Amino acid sequence: MISLRNVSKKYRTQAGYKVVLDNVSVEFPVGKSVGILGLNGAGKSTLIRIIGDAEPADSGTVHCDQRVSWPLGYAGGFQGNLTARENARFVARIYGESTRYVEEFTREFSELGEYFDEPLKSYSAGMQGRFAFSVSLACNFEYYLVDEALETGDARYREKFRMAFEERRANASVILVSHNEQTIRRNCDMAAILHEGSLVLYEDLKDALLEYNILQNQPR
Amino acid sequence: MSMPAAGVAVDTITTARVLAAFATQVRVVNALILRETKTRYGNYKIGFLWALIEPLVGVSVFVAIFSNLRSDSPSGMPLVAFMLVGFICYGLFRDPWSCMQGAISNSRNLLTFPQVSTFDVILARGILEILVTFFVLGFLLYMAHLSGFEVRCERPLGVLIVCCLLCIFGLGMGFLFASLEPLIPSIKQFGSTVLGRPLYFSSGLFFSAETIPESVREYLLYNPVLHMIELVRGEFFYEFETAHGSWSYASAWAFTTLAVGLLMHQAVHKRAIITK
Repeated sequence: MISLRNVSKKYRTQAGYKVVLDNVSVEFPVGKSVGILGLNGAGKSTLIRIIGDAEPADSGTVHCDQRVSWPLGYAGGFQGNLTARENARFVARIYGESTRYVEEFTREFSELGEYFDEPLKSYSAGMQGRFAFSVSLACNFEYYLVDEALETGDARYREKFRMAFEERRANASVILVSHNEQTIRRNCDMAAILHEGSLVLYEDLKDALLEYNILQNQPR
Repeated sequence: MSMPAAGVAVDTITTARVLAAFATQVRVVNALILRETKTRYGNYKIGFLWALIEPLVGVSVFVAIFSNLRSDSPSGMPLVAFMLVGFICYGLFRDPWSCMQGAISNSRNLLTFPQVSTFDVILARGILEILVTFFVLGFLLYMAHLSGFEVRCERPLGVLIVCCLLCIFGLGMGFLFASLEPLIPSIKQFGSTVLGRPLYFSSGLFFSAETIPESVREYLLYNPVLHMIELVRGEFFYEFETAHGSWSYASAWAFTTLAVGLLMHQAVHKRAIITK
């Protein structure tokens, strides 16, 4: 289970402070995949980075008692001038996994072929996404934090990931950030909306999507 | 699991937790060092050679100048070993410092991983740099010995202790500058020109304090690195005992700087992550 207690976060901008999270308390239930919806710039990525402990909150605490992945994005966390193989080994080392297993799994699953030994910076966004996902699948997390990256890659490959996640549903869940309803509908059991600093969790996915539609069409 | 009341800390500190956290830290720093080695030296065919070439060039230039300038070696020490010890030991202080200062800005990507902290990325660079410099010191002294120059070490343990002081001083400067660099980027230039240049010329790399006129020496001896270089030569050479290097002055600077560096890191590292 992941829970946030009184988490606040603001950024300083030219125009003054922008509040991204305003005293947010929320509990993500065990075994449920949650989508996080929000307009552009609402702070979805910041939220997932705070959950994944990649960035500190200004105040409040985040608790989790399961193995949580790092926030998966296009290239986040990886070193552009190292090859996919070297990056995979790095991830294996810091998570204390077998380097050989992670390396092999990633090579097979990412289908990068000869690009596997090329520097990551030469990859397209889709290929980087494929690599990031394959490494994280090799590590067997109980929670996957995903930042938009599911939409990368061609349709066949997207399907492959979906299947892989589907297989792991029994012992792994996803917290997925996206502004795309389709992605959320396909991958999540429930959803939350982040808007103007507050995060509201909806038990029913349909309610959340309905609410999000109203929000999107509001004149701003 | 039931939720505790708000404001009550749930994370009690136990021995097992501390050990687990320590194990993670060791694992992460190890992984970072391996990665750093790859990015720094792995991409070029002669990568590691550069670590040797840099001090070699410095030493050869000064050996050439001094062997023509005057026939006697400084304070009776063999010239080549004198220069090698001075230049490479100075590297034990300068290299960790200069390498560590960009650690946070250059490793921002890696901080995405929850177990990788700013402390880890800074420390990993320092450790790698110190290991390489120690290797260079040993290797070049051995090469000098093989080439027929006189290399005899009087008190190896003493040399090692002074080397550690230099490393500690370098690590302290590294932590201080690495923590501030994301907030004040120009601090790098400040470090290399306003501090680095004068230190390079006043730390006794190519002279010993004894040979400097007293009126100037008085001021030069405010420089703690000069003390350390004097001490390391005193421990290394049979022919030389330093009259000016002070153990207490050198260690006071080294440990105080390390403490200040670590405190500065503790104070600003959260802000340093966010500043882009």
